[in-house]
Amino acid sequence: MIQCKTSKAISGMGHSMKRKEDARFIQGKGNYVDDIKLPGMLYMDIVRSPYAYAKIKKINTEAALKIPGVVAVVTGKDLEQYNLHWMPTLMSDTQMVLPTDTVMYQAQEVAAVIATSRYAARDGKEAVIVEYEPMKPLMDPYKSLNDDAPILRPDKPGKTDNHIWHWQAGSREETEAVFSNADVVVKEQMHIPRIHVASIETCGCVADYDKVDNHLTMYMTTQAPHAIRTVIALVAGHVGLTEEKIRVISPDIGGGFGGKVPVYPGYVIAIAVSFLVGKPVKWIEDRSENLQADSFARDYHITAEMAATKEGKILATRFKILADHGYTDAAANPSKFPIGMFSVCTGSYDYPTSFVEADAVYTNKPPGGVAYRCSFRVTEAVHAIERITDRLAFEIGKDPAKLRIENFIQKDQFPYKSPLGWEYDSGDYVAGLEKAMNAIDYDGLRAEQVEKRKKGELMGIGISTFTEIVGAGPSKDFDILGIKMFDSAEIRVHPTGKAIARFGTKSQGQGHETTYAQIIAEELGIPAEHIQVEEGDTDTAPYGLGTYASRSTPTAGAAAVMAARKLRDKARKIAAYLLEVSEEDLEWEPGKFSVKGAPEKSKTIQELVFAAYTNHPQGMEAGFEATHYYDPPNLTFPSGAYICVVDIDSETFEIKVRRFVAIDDCGHIINPMIVQGQVHGGLTQGIAPAMYEELIYDEAGNILNGTLMDYLVPTAVESPKWETGHVITPSPHHPIGAKGVGESPTVGAPPAIANAIVDALSVYGVTHMDIPITPYKIWKKLKDTGKI
Amino acid sequence: MTTSINRTFEINEPIEKVWDSLSNPHEIVSCVPGAALTEQVDADNYKGTVTLKFGPVKASYDGLVTFLERNAATKTMSLKGVGTDTKGKGGADMLMSGVLTDKAGSTEVNVTMNVEVTGMLAQFGSRLINDVSNQVFDQFIDNFSNKLAGKDVNNTMSAGSMVGSMVKGLFK
Repeated sequence: MIQCKTSKAISGMGHSMKRKEDARFIQGKGNYVDDIKLPGMLYMDIVRSPYAYAKIKKINTEAALKIPGVVAVVTGKDLEQYNLHWMPTLMSDTQMVLPTDTVMYQAQEVAAVIATSRYAARDGKEAVIVEYEPMKPLMDPYKSLNDDAPILRPDKPGKTDNHIWHWQAGSREETEAVFSNADVVVKEQMHIPRIHVASIETCGCVADYDKVDNHLTMYMTTQAPHAIRTVIALVAGHVGLTEEKIRVISPDIGGGFGGKVPVYPGYVIAIAVSFLVGKPVKWIEDRSENLQADSFARDYHITAEMAATKEGKILATRFKILADHGYTDAAANPSKFPIGMFSVCTGSYDYPTSFVEADAVYTNKPPGGVAYRCSFRVTEAVHAIERITDRLAFEIGKDPAKLRIENFIQKDQFPYKSPLGWEYDSGDYVAGLEKAMNAIDYDGLRAEQVEKRKKGELMGIGISTFTEIVGAGPSKDFDILGIKMFDSAEIRVHPTGKAIARFGTKSQGQGHETTYAQIIAEELGIPAEHIQVEEGDTDTAPYGLGTYASRSTPTAGAAAVMAARKLRDKARKIAAYLLEVSEEDLEWEPGKFSVKGAPEKSKTIQELVFAAYTNHPQGMEAGFEATHYYDPPNLTFPSGAYICVVDIDSETFEIKVRRFVAIDDCGHIINPMIVQGQVHGGLTQGIAPAMYEELIYDEAGNILNGTLMDYLVPTAVESPKWETGHVITPSPHHPIGAKGVGESPTVGAPPAIANAIVDALSVYGVTHMDIPITPYKIWKKLKDTGKI
Repeated sequence: MTTSINRTFEINEPIEKVWDSLSNPHEIVSCVPGAALTEQVDADNYKGTVTLKFGPVKASYDGLVTFLERNAATKTMSLKGVGTDTKGKGGADMLMSGVLTDKAGSTEVNVTMNVEVTGMLAQFGSRLINDVSNQVFDQFIDNFSNKLAGKDVNNTMSAGSMVGSMVKGLFK
């Protein structure tokens, strides 16, 4: 199915080349931020609030300062002198770096202790005594809009409620008209729980300010180093740090998943302290700080509705969302899309009408709303449409696979204009679902289910046929803080035909050092093995907006193709010169140009590159380098058909995922093994919110599972065997037809699992359960409704 | 995070004797593991401290204990304790009520305790807090019975058993 145009020696696209970066990772030779040790480096630890909402009466630092090794304790009042106590968020809101008077969530930063060792910093943190005056926190987003709710953000001029923004798309009136005339209307209230990316490596930095050169080097766990450099220049310009004096280096990263896009207060404090004392300052979060204070993901309350004919033809959908953003909107969305790409919620189905509206509110929870392995709220959208589609199937008594096939956008309808305005690039949804059904023996499973139900056994089959929207994005619509969401590649080929390529993105485990090399190998015929990929250093790499939302292949990957093609054009000119023929008489095969009709007359890419340095045509620029900034014409729309089978114990309600088949369409595949690895990891991060993960808060604002002892991240023990496969419909507008795959499984898996569990429980009349679905939740639901 | 405990137990002493202890702040506080009164503010208000050890974690609370009710006729009492961690790491509020019933010479004691914990301790998660609270409460009952019987009272927080209960809690 996957055809390779290049030999294994070149290892262009389609080859399962082993990951080049793994040689250092599996030998413990990765270089992570906490590996960086600089002479004279100080260490920072952060005092955090035990209360979700409280006035700070007094911060007593006396005892802490007496501890040997503690050199300073920094409070909000200290930062206020430099106007650094607040910072802007990516969503044009404001966030405290350190509070001067009020704390807004449990685990919020209150003060920073600077010391000569990590241990002294931690001892100092324990010795800082803070007097608080606790207030009753606002934890329920629905209550936050009540008239009697306290106004959480009086710091914002004129703010008289806790409402952040309203957003809508589609026609309210037209949708209402379709709903009021439809044969069937189904509706469910859903909560997509607040979860955390819980990457293996927590966040941290080493801020190294050199007073003599007035230069800051910031080693930092960031997915978007270039954007961070610009942000630092924008917020620190007033103290003399201008952009050419700032170098951001993002070393190896142990998982990002969107959690390393935002700027956290710790980074800013470390920079401020380094700036003031002229020494490097290291800050590394511990595990609980990471889980309790860093950006959460999801937390959407969704009312989903679907209107259809009684035969099951979908006519319209309607979604109403309440978004709990915590005390500030610190999400990481493109500027024009406070709700991200949620409006892909119309799904893989062909119908003309939809309406979405969303309101965001403040509560006393940590800020965030990051795109956790998700192109900005697509996970929430896919969950809503795939659950409500199953709900319709249940309502009219139709098989959910049949209902989907009857409503799918057909492959000849692409490019397809969705009801909310997106132009889906390509897909073959019927082929995907049929492949998944054959792989899992869908008909056989349904027959087995009938037999099991006769015996009182609980077995469920769940389907998710999702359409993703990734690769942000076209400059006409997409920017972050005004910077357009293009991305870049620079290729420099050395005289001996070996290359270095640099990118504006930043791998956090995705395998860029391998896949980008393969893309260039595909286009230039230089073996991928001899293409060194570098990212993450703003002094050397071209500008780009970073890696998240499955955007690297659609943007920077495309930039690599375009830059390589510029070089191939140059190689053609050199070949024509060397072979004394016209350019039109040459034909390309990976790795060489030869004369049409005389294949023995040829020049390899290595010979041509060498000539570019040693024997280039007069008038031609010497050297062999190219840069490209790629502004995608459209987003890409990967899709998938996932089927999950669960068995549920009829007494303990323990859920066992018996089988899970995932058929993905990510367009042309660069490295099948890396794609498979991405899908395995993504599916495991998909089972996580479906069955295990949720950040839980009590009414007093305490996080009840703020350690990995209580917050269950699935491991190999919980993971079922994943069965994967592909359908390939190349993206017509991407130069190599690739679409991006990183997040598809995380987005597509939760509704497949939830649908399977609800299908199993449908014998009790259950039509919906909020994820994570646990044995206790099932028992409680059945008990509460008198079914058991 | 709120934890509620309700226990009924019998003490082989006459009701008036039990009441004298239950309604006397010095007597009752001396039975609470880790607790001590430091100052009497007025007839109903007392200042005190509570120190709890959860394995490696030690939490000390400074607080105010207020008797809300002490009814010798109905043999009911209730008190409220409000504490803040001495290092600013959280707080705990407690509402405790007790009622005595005469059982032919011996006394049935019914005690309800609602504890709301905020901050560091709450972050341990409910499993731990429930276990430790039960442990503390059981020790309180033992102490209270022993005191009335004229035996020794163990008012120190038993760290070993706390760790044991913690470990047990983790593997539940």
